[in-house]
Order: sequence, then structure tokens, then C-alpha cells
Amino acid sequence: MNETTKKLIKKNFKELLHFLFPFFVVIIFWEIFVDIGLITRVPAPYTLFMRFLQITFEKNILTSHLQASIYRLLIGYFLAAILGIGLGTLMGIKKSISEMFSPVLSLLIAIPTIAWVPVLLITLGLGDKTVITAIFLGGFFAIAYSTMHGIKTVNKSLINAAKTMGSNNKSLFFHVLLPGSLVSLLPGLRLAIGYSWRALVGAEMLAALVKWGIGKMIYSARFFNDVELMFVGLIIIGLAGLILDHLVMGTIEKWTIERWGMIQEG
Amino acid sequence: MGYDTRGIMNMTNKSKIQIRNLEKTFSTGKTVTALKKINLDINDNEFAVLLGPSGCGKSTLLYLIAGFEKPTKGTIKLDNKIIKKPDSDRGFVFQDFALYPWRTVLRNVTFGLEMKNTPKQKAIEEAKKYIKMVGLDGFEDAYPHTLSGGMKQRVGIARALVYHPEVLLMDEPFGALDAQTRKHMQMELENIWEQTKKTVIFVTHSVIEAVYLADRVFVMTARPGTIKGVVDVDLPRPRNYTDDKFLNVREKILNLLESEVEKSLELTGE
Repeated sequence: MNETTKKLIKKNFKELLHFLFPFFVVIIFWEIFVDIGLITRVPAPYTLFMRFLQITFEKNILTSHLQASIYRLLIGYFLAAILGIGLGTLMGIKKSISEMFSPVLSLLIAIPTIAWVPVLLITLGLGDKTVITAIFLGGFFAIAYSTMHGIKTVNKSLINAAKTMGSNNKSLFFHVLLPGSLVSLLPGLRLAIGYSWRALVGAEMLAALVKWGIGKMIYSARFFNDVELMFVGLIIIGLAGLILDHLVMGTIEKWTIERWGMIQEG
Repeated sequence: MGYDTRGIMNMTNKSKIQIRNLEKTFSTGKTVTALKKINLDINDNEFAVLLGPSGCGKSTLLYLIAGFEKPTKGTIKLDNKIIKKPDSDRGFVFQDFALYPWRTVLRNVTFGLEMKNTPKQKAIEEAKKYIKMVGLDGFEDAYPHTLSGGMKQRVGIARALVYHPEVLLMDEPFGALDAQTRKHMQMELENIWEQTKKTVIFVTHSVIEAVYLADRVFVMTARPGTIKGVVDVDLPRPRNYTDDKFLNVREKILNLLESEVEKSLELTGE
């Protein structure tokens, strides 16, 4: 291990501590307030942590719920990405297509995804199809819009430069428009995975035939008055969202548009 | 044979670039004539400078030669073939550099060769040669955003030369640089031009830059843009900015320009 890697690890470690510190403060005060009786009906962090360990290791419940959710998320989000980038690209390249779809898109984008769920429950049933479609709808519009915006705002000089260098339509798309659009597309994908994740939790709660899933876990806890389990679920949903946003999408941005100086380091 | 004061016609077909009765209008609401009755010939290996006040259409003329825009009337020929669209027989250097931020210096320079399906190893070799020529060896793996303006434009020049275009079109390439860097870049460009002997069409509004670099300076009028006169710069290279002859040529061009600059200021109300 050389000096620079050591420095880098040290820097990352510092950043991590910086990030975690507020959580420690909240947890400590939460624990104290519950212990001295200032907060009632809310379980203390210590109790929640023990419950978390129990469902993780003793009964394997958590893993099954998370697995089911992640499986749905991957399918729905993957479809949203493929079709969203596809439509967004067409809209970015062809003015006639963007004029046709833009008004519809801006209307649809304003509808909260959860509002679709009742419609989906009737048309697609009470199972996985509904949940996956909700995830898809959650991500699709943001991805389509950010792709279109990214392609439309690629600097004209970059396109002209490629043309003088003998670029044809295909190479222009793959070597200029697509990488040039990443500055909008990647933040769009990042936003979309957050929307999809939220849609997933909501739809799992409402789809009656769904038995497993992190949203279902919380919803079912209601029947047993199991407030502890609800809180554990909430925290896990938050954590998973954070991991998807920071660790997955944030790292992708760091290695691409941030490294290329297309956005400021953040 | 030869050239009259308006420029321009070379009666043989030997000229590299041949522009006849060129006119360009833009209509955004009302119609604006950007260029009118442009006739000019640019010879092979010539360093031609288009000079004029801002808004005179000199960049538009360059964009037409590049094929980014289409003429409203008239024709532009390169090697006797009418220009219809951008292609790799013309290299273009942009004022805003137009480098690909996601490509390293090396990969920016190989872009044109990749489009020609040059084998990878050969493309890298060629690119390195030109990167060296513009004085950037050692920076092959750097990303553009880490470079200074002057260095970025060196990449821009290497990238436009590497695939051997017939003509190099330069749109105020040093306009975004500070005065010191600009002077330095002019010297280096002249060096590069001496080595490659390309036909260059260079757009600028700096008279000094024009006199320093040009074989011939085409002075343009403001709105609509026409060629007002052609000044031969018959001075040995490299030129000295303070030399008497240099200053004489500069004076001559300034006289041609003066009324035009006033006109363009009136029109824009600055």
C-alpha cells in the first residue's frame, strides 16, 4: 500500500465519521429520552437494534423480505432505464417526437406514482405485476426526461467537431450524444432509483397477494401491533435508499461525470 | 490574373477554396442578411485570415465552409467539389475548444482516426506524433478539464490536424486566451503551419494577430458581411510586431476597418 492510497483511505474514513456523527447524536438522545420516559410508545434504539438482530439471524425473515423487494426493484428499474433511455433518446434526437410526447410527459411526471396503484390493482391484479409496474412508473418518467434533456443540451460545437472528423449518425450518437448526455442522464437515473424505491414500498403495502417484501413487512406488523418491527422496517428502507443513492449511483457519478469535470465534485 | 481590391477572382480553377456569389440570410422572425455577394479564392498552402468587426459574419462564413450551415445562394467549392456537409477533408478548431470531456487528451486526438477506422495502434502512434508537435507530450492521459486554456487549444489543433484534412478552419481559436498565452500560441501556430503547410482559414478580430499570421487578410464589412478588401502581407516570417513594415500593413488594415467598426457600433447601439 503506498502513501496515496493510505491518504485516500484516511480521507474516506474521516468523511464516513463526519457522515455518521449526526446519527450517533440522534440515537443517543433518542435512547436517553425513552429511558427517562420523555418519549413513550416509541421503542428505544437499543430495543430496535436487538429486534433487528433477531429478525436477521434468528428467523431469517429480513433477508427474505429484502430479497423479494430487491428482485422487484431490479426488474422494474431495469425496464424503466431501458425504455426511459430509449424514449428519451428519440425525443432528444427527433424534434417531432419530442413535440408529440413532451406535453404528455410533463403531465404524467406530475402524478405521484402511488396514485397509479389503485388503477394497477384493478388492471394488473394484486400481485407482483402491480408492484413491478409501480416501480417502473416511478423511474420511467424521470429517466426519459433526463435523457432527452441531456441529449438536447449537448454542446453544439461537440457535435460539429465530430462531423468534421467524419462521424456518421451512429458514431455521433455513441461517441458524442450519449456520453455528452450523461451529465443529465446519470443524475436522472439516481433520482429515478429513489422514486422507484418509494413506489416499491407503497405498492407492496397495497398489493394484497404480495407476501414478502420490506413494505409488506411493515404493513403486516400492523396486525400484531408490532411497533418495533415497523421502526426496524422504516430504518432499513431508509438505509437501503441511502446505499442505492450514495454508494451505487454516487460512485458511478464519481467515476464518470465527476472525474471528467462535467459536474463539480460533491 | 491577380486580384483586384475587392478580392478576389482567380480566373483559373487552381484555387483550393472557391467561393462564388455566396449569400446567407437567417430568418428568425425577420430576415437578416449575414453575408452578401461573397466571392473569394484561397490558394493551396495559403494562410488566409478573415478579419472584421464583431457581427460581420466572418464566423458564419467559416461555418459555411465547414458545412455546418448551408448557403442561401451561391456555392463554395473545395478542390472543385461543391461543399454540402461537414466532412473530414476540413479540420475545424473552435473558439470554445470543443474537446470531449470524457476522453483523455490522447483519445480526443485519436477521435478523427477512429472515425476512419484506423487500426488502434497506428492511431495512437499518429496521435502521439501530433501531441508532441503541439508540445503536449506527457499529457496524453490527462482529461481536458485539468488543462489550461492554451493547452486545451493545443489539443484542439492536434485533433484537427491528425487526420490530414485538406484545409484547417480556425474560428477565433485564441479568442478565449489571455494576452500572453495568445502571443505564444500565434508563434506556435506559425511553426506548425510551416511544418504542415496546410491551407488555413483563420477568423479573428485582432488586426495584430491577422498581420502576424496571414499571407492575405480579407477585411470584411459589417451587416451585411461582404469582403471590403484584401491585403497582402508580404513579410518574411517569423514576423516582428514592432517592425516598421509590420506596422505599415497594420495601418493599412486599420484604415480599411475603421469605418466598418463605427458602423457596427452604431448598429448594435453599444
